[in-house]
Amino acid sequence: MTLARPSFLILGFLFLFLLAWIGAPYCPAQQDVEQAVTSDLPEKQEPEKIIGAPQDIKQKTGIWVFVVWMWVSILVLVYFLRWKIKEVDRLYQLRYFSAKKN
Amino acid sequence: MNIGIKSWLDERFGLSGITDFMTKKTVPLHKHTIWYYTGSAILLFFAIQVVTGFMLVLYYKPTLEMANESVARIMNEIPLGWIIRSVHSWSASFMIAFVFVHLLSIWIAKSYRRPRELTWMSGVLLLLISLFFGFTGYLLPWDDLSFSATKVGTDIPRAIPVVGVWVTKLLRGGEDVTGDTLTRFFGIHVCMLPVFLFILLAIHIYLVQKQGMSLPLEAEVKQEKVKEIPFWPNFVFRETVVWLLLVGILFSIAIFFPPSLEKAADVMAPAPEGIKPEWYFLFLFQTLKIFPAHVLFVSGETLAVLLMFFAAVLFFFLPFFDNKPTLTKGKIITSLAFVFILYALVMSVWSLL
Repeated sequence: MTLARPSFLILGFLFLFLLAWIGAPYCPAQQDVEQAVTSDLPEKQEPEKIIGAPQDIKQKTGIWVFVVWMWVSILVLVYFLRWKIKEVDRLYQLRYFSAKKN
Repeated sequence: MNIGIKSWLDERFGLSGITDFMTKKTVPLHKHTIWYYTGSAILLFFAIQVVTGFMLVLYYKPTLEMANESVARIMNEIPLGWIIRSVHSWSASFMIAFVFVHLLSIWIAKSYRRPRELTWMSGVLLLLISLFFGFTGYLLPWDDLSFSATKVGTDIPRAIPVVGVWVTKLLRGGEDVTGDTLTRFFGIHVCMLPVFLFILLAIHIYLVQKQGMSLPLEAEVKQEKVKEIPFWPNFVFRETVVWLLLVGILFSIAIFFPPSLEKAADVMAPAPEGIKPEWYFLFLFQTLKIFPAHVLFVSGETLAVLLMFFAAVLFFFLPFFDNKPTLTKGKIITSLAFVFILYALVMSVWSLL
């Protein structure tokens, strides 16, 4: 008894289908597809932890610019204040302020 | 124009009296002068707390359903909200750290000696208010950790005989930590404590101005002449340098190490593992933990709480015990300050391990 060609093709197709169905979970390409599908779905659970951070690259750059600007301003002001401290200390030693009052 | 406004304001407020006082006021200049800056640093961090607190209160909602969500909104949606929250949180830590350093420096230098006893006592009360600020503020994000820590914290007074249960109920607004506790803590944090703090701060600053800065003990004993500088402008310029550097450090830390927010607390869920209070309560927390369940016929927790209360009372009246600073008793009291520092450090590290 020989099988007709169409029946042979159907059996072959069924065999391949079964093989793909059973083997799919072990196939890396299929896993990628599943991961992509699940990651597209909206998350139902709320996040465990929120960590404050800049929301986009524009804000991140802005923060870095602010930090640098802040420290440069502080260092410039400290430099001038140190210079002023020396000056007022010298004037105090010379009794400049008390002489001015009298 | 400038002179016109100045004289107009002076005529009404009498500002020249204040400026005269500032120019006549002097500050001793010696090797321990650096500790004088800690007092003004506390004021700086308190001012930052007030400003950032005003900003946060515009968006924060103190209800069980909305508290955590509103903090999440501040962090995720409000422009730079996470930085404001971070600066508020870090400046609280900085403020309390400086209050500790300020008090310990006064203890070690014995600056509380006559006639500055009341200045010390008002300072200790300010420390207690600052700690209570931290305790009430910790619950406000209403996340798992803050909820459980508050539950543990508000349970501690229960160990006090007679009034303990009543104190716990008063703090919680009922038997358990609920939405009522949150509303109560918010009210205490933003209304009651600021009023008490402003009153005490005014008294403290008045006393500091009235008595002047204290001199080092050895200089006073030997009646040495200590160099002095005017408060304005010489000392104010120096203070400004310290303030600028502290602001820079605070903002840098707040930007790069912002505090996180856990998911909303579930009142019915079991307490998560590793509950820890804020760093400034760690040594007290560990002290409670190491006490045995029973000491003779007394509960270990009750004994620990009573001992802490007794230590706090002694600390409050310290200037009256340390009335002969140059004698052996005075030296023992100074060495107790170092023992306390070592104890607090060891207990805090142990608690973190």
